[in-house]
Amino acid sequence: MTDIDTAITLGNASLKEKLNAIDGPLAYEETAYHLPVAYALTGRPVHTGKEAILAYTLTKENPFVACESILALSEQGPGREPAPYTGFIGDAVLRKLGYSLVDGSILGLALLIGTPANAETASRICRELQEKYMLTFLAGDVVPALSLASVKLGLEYRLIPLGSTSVHGVHFVDIITRVALMFGGVVPGDPGRLLAYANQRAKAIAIVFPGLDNEGIALVDALRLLGIPIISLGGYEGGEWIATAPEDAVREGMERKGIKVTVTAIPIPMSCSPAFEGKSIRKEEMYVEFGGGRSPAFELLRVKPASEVTDGLIRVTGPEIGSLKEGSAVPLGIIVEVAGKSMRTDFEPVLERRIHNFVNYGEGSWHVAQRDLIWVRISKEAVNNGIKIEHIGKLIATKFRIDFPDLLDAVQVTLVTDLDAVLKGKKEAEAIYEERDLRIQGMKDTDVDLFYSCTLCQTFAPNHVCIITPERPALCGAISWLDGKIAYEISPSGANQPVEKGNVIDRVKGEFDGVNRFVKKASHGEVERCSLYSIMEYPMTCCGCFECIALMLPEVNGIMVVNREYKGDTPSGMSFSTLAGTIGGGAQTPGFAGISKNYILSDRFLQDEGGIERLVWLPSLVKEELKERLVQKLNELGHPELFDKIADETKATTLEELVAFLDEVQAPALTMKPLL
Amino acid sequence: MSENSPDSSGKIGYVVLGATKAEGGTRTVSFRLGGESDLPFIGMNTGQGSIPLVAFEICDDPEYWSPIVTSYTGDLSNDAREWAGVAEKQYGADIIRLYLTSTKRRGFDNFSSITTVMEEVLSGTGLPLVVEGSNEPAIDSDVFQRCGEAGEGERLLLGTAEAGRYRSVAAAALAYHHSVLAQSPIDINLAKQLNILLREIGVKADHIMIDPYTGTLGYGFEYSYSVMERIRSAALKGDTDLAMPMITSATDSLSVKEVREADPAALEDIAVEWEFYAALSSAIAGSSVVCVRHPKTVPLLKSAFRELWAGKMPGEA
Repeated sequence: MTDIDTAITLGNASLKEKLNAIDGPLAYEETAYHLPVAYALTGRPVHTGKEAILAYTLTKENPFVACESILALSEQGPGREPAPYTGFIGDAVLRKLGYSLVDGSILGLALLIGTPANAETASRICRELQEKYMLTFLAGDVVPALSLASVKLGLEYRLIPLGSTSVHGVHFVDIITRVALMFGGVVPGDPGRLLAYANQRAKAIAIVFPGLDNEGIALVDALRLLGIPIISLGGYEGGEWIATAPEDAVREGMERKGIKVTVTAIPIPMSCSPAFEGKSIRKEEMYVEFGGGRSPAFELLRVKPASEVTDGLIRVTGPEIGSLKEGSAVPLGIIVEVAGKSMRTDFEPVLERRIHNFVNYGEGSWHVAQRDLIWVRISKEAVNNGIKIEHIGKLIATKFRIDFPDLLDAVQVTLVTDLDAVLKGKKEAEAIYEERDLRIQGMKDTDVDLFYSCTLCQTFAPNHVCIITPERPALCGAISWLDGKIAYEISPSGANQPVEKGNVIDRVKGEFDGVNRFVKKASHGEVERCSLYSIMEYPMTCCGCFECIALMLPEVNGIMVVNREYKGDTPSGMSFSTLAGTIGGGAQTPGFAGISKNYILSDRFLQDEGGIERLVWLPSLVKEELKERLVQKLNELGHPELFDKIADETKATTLEELVAFLDEVQAPALTMKPLL
Repeated sequence: MSENSPDSSGKIGYVVLGATKAEGGTRTVSFRLGGESDLPFIGMNTGQGSIPLVAFEICDDPEYWSPIVTSYTGDLSNDAREWAGVAEKQYGADIIRLYLTSTKRRGFDNFSSITTVMEEVLSGTGLPLVVEGSNEPAIDSDVFQRCGEAGEGERLLLGTAEAGRYRSVAAAALAYHHSVLAQSPIDINLAKQLNILLREIGVKADHIMIDPYTGTLGYGFEYSYSVMERIRSAALKGDTDLAMPMITSATDSLSVKEVREADPAALEDIAVEWEFYAALSSAIAGSSVVCVRHPKTVPLLKSAFRELWAGKMPGEA
């Protein structure tokens, strides 16, 4: 066991001694960056021993500067090591490497250093790095070990032997430094920006075999300053290196640095595409079905620590497709376990909803509803083509990895078809659903400082901006505040951006100066003010995707809501489509607003107009859909009788009929403060 | 700021194309594009930027080129070096836009030929170059690397970057100091998104030109016009993610039905007219560089621009 801290002290001392002894001109060939690390850190070109010592002092005795200077002397001319060693890599080659890094054909850089106990381990690690599109640099004893194991080395194999000693590992650093200077806009002499670039942008890891000398340890440990995780394969103690088993080294390093391998193909014998999303599998076409009231079924997505999730692992507990009777209904539990550094429990439900889309992408698989209400079918044709239950898991796991490359590092799926296990799992899942509902339902606009915008629809309504709050989902009903938040984290330059609430201008109307600022900018100056909880003054604009339209009916002093599916006449004298044509396109129309169905149940619904008491008309379909939750809400407000005082098309389709109905039931809107 | 557009606070940024010897390249001229602070032809005396430039489009494999052009140029189109020189000296183009159509061939893998063609065209003309690299995503990485490398120091405009396919172009631009032609399908939001993506990968705003995608006249040009107008208004209102000069090429002009089915005797004139009006309209919509393929269109455009932009000089850098 080598003690890292002691070795660092000794290593630095010996580097310093060698540096002080340098005599003669210092230079690397084919570079415009002099001694790159010294140049980047100090802004001074180093060409002599004196200058090297000065740079070393200026950088508070940085071991990279020492190693770089020592090698600059010994690598010159005849001192250059013979093939396969590359020594210092010139700018032209580096530009190509940098190109591949930006271009994505190389995912990241790895340094392998130290003395591998056996060549087999080292060559396995190299193979894994190659498979994961990493460009690997080798320094010291690892090179002869690999050569002995007949591993092919060279740029074309993405394994680059820098030199025969551990000090040659500094070329790994001068490469990262020059990439920062060439591609990252880092200016020589600005160590702050260099470090920031190395930490945030450079995708680099170091894997250390045992047996490194003191100088090598000092060099490698300094990599931590650049944000490079140091994966130690044993033999060292103390310090802040990450001890890992050889078989986990590459995964561990890449995960820590956030380097992700992108997945593009779904390896199952069935076509998968959004194009199949709308298809259905009829009873005659179906081989087997799950859930839908015919058998118990559920789906659940959970976040787990990385150590508990094996990416791509698919398990089927219970009978597989071959032992299921054609035409039968079988229990099913879909359990998706995910891991990711930025993944959080509150993302679970949003991701869980994607299971629905993913299963439907399969040409021969079909999925409806959610949670413990799911109903899944697999077609005969798919089964004939060799589809198994296992493949549905593969489809789900792969699609998650494709669609959320930055969020998820690993996805494993368990499909349960055993009755007892499904019943047990379902029970546990139900407790989790309930927990989630409480969490989201409990969330108030006042609990957060950030809302989210949605400008997805600016494609056809150029100045429209949706502001999404915990209590007011997007008007299309498809994006909640949490969805907006996640969408932003997944794609920071996408259509959902955080909106600083800012100061309250009007609490009741829901007007905030931060929101106004955002809306003005995002609407290209068209919309100056936006009240989130009012439809009468500065209501939010509408694109055209609204689930429902809320509009004022001055004659009855109330507000009616009509949903997209409702085709008939409304008391306003206009059908949904006529209304939609009137208010869409990104305009602000006082007295009208596009809203989602769920917003009707929100405490903020019509807050400025007096709340849900203003609601005088709602098509029966929506009324029925929301009934349970609406009644509950009205009970909470102490007005259980209100539900029956809201008219629908069976009570009134004209204004006259509506007036008569409201008079008869003595609707509260009639006696409220005049809207106009 | 002009009185006619009281809201405007933004200004279109500059992009430099081409590098002369003094600037580290081998071009005889370089252009600084952009700088507008008003919509075209509004507030005529201020903020109009410089006179639009005409880029002449050539290719390295004429099999994939309009026969209307190749029958006019004859053998010339088999030699990209000569063709570029003639475009400069005889047609009077300001810029050469080279399409590496050879990469369209199935299974193309002769990457060293790209370097050769690039070198030939660079030696055949002293004008700044726009280079259209790969036609196939699978070979993007190899093709753009070579385009970028062969043109190092020349400040090329490299195309085409699209939202789903921009990394290789951007990487080549970053590695060899070129600019990127960023194309979005007639959509202001996608134009902006692409510019943000490019910025995130490290391409600076003064190294991006927007190609809003140009439908030809009568075949969707009105959409292009409207999007260009919106991109420009948004930029002038302060949206820096859209404040780049634009480049347009109504490449379909030579293959629309009216041209295809024209009387053979009149075909060439009709083709030129179609191309001319689409390009002229693009310039009026705010395009800094218009690209055309028929040699006869070039002088017509140059003379129209001289009259419309009376007194404005080309934006020599």
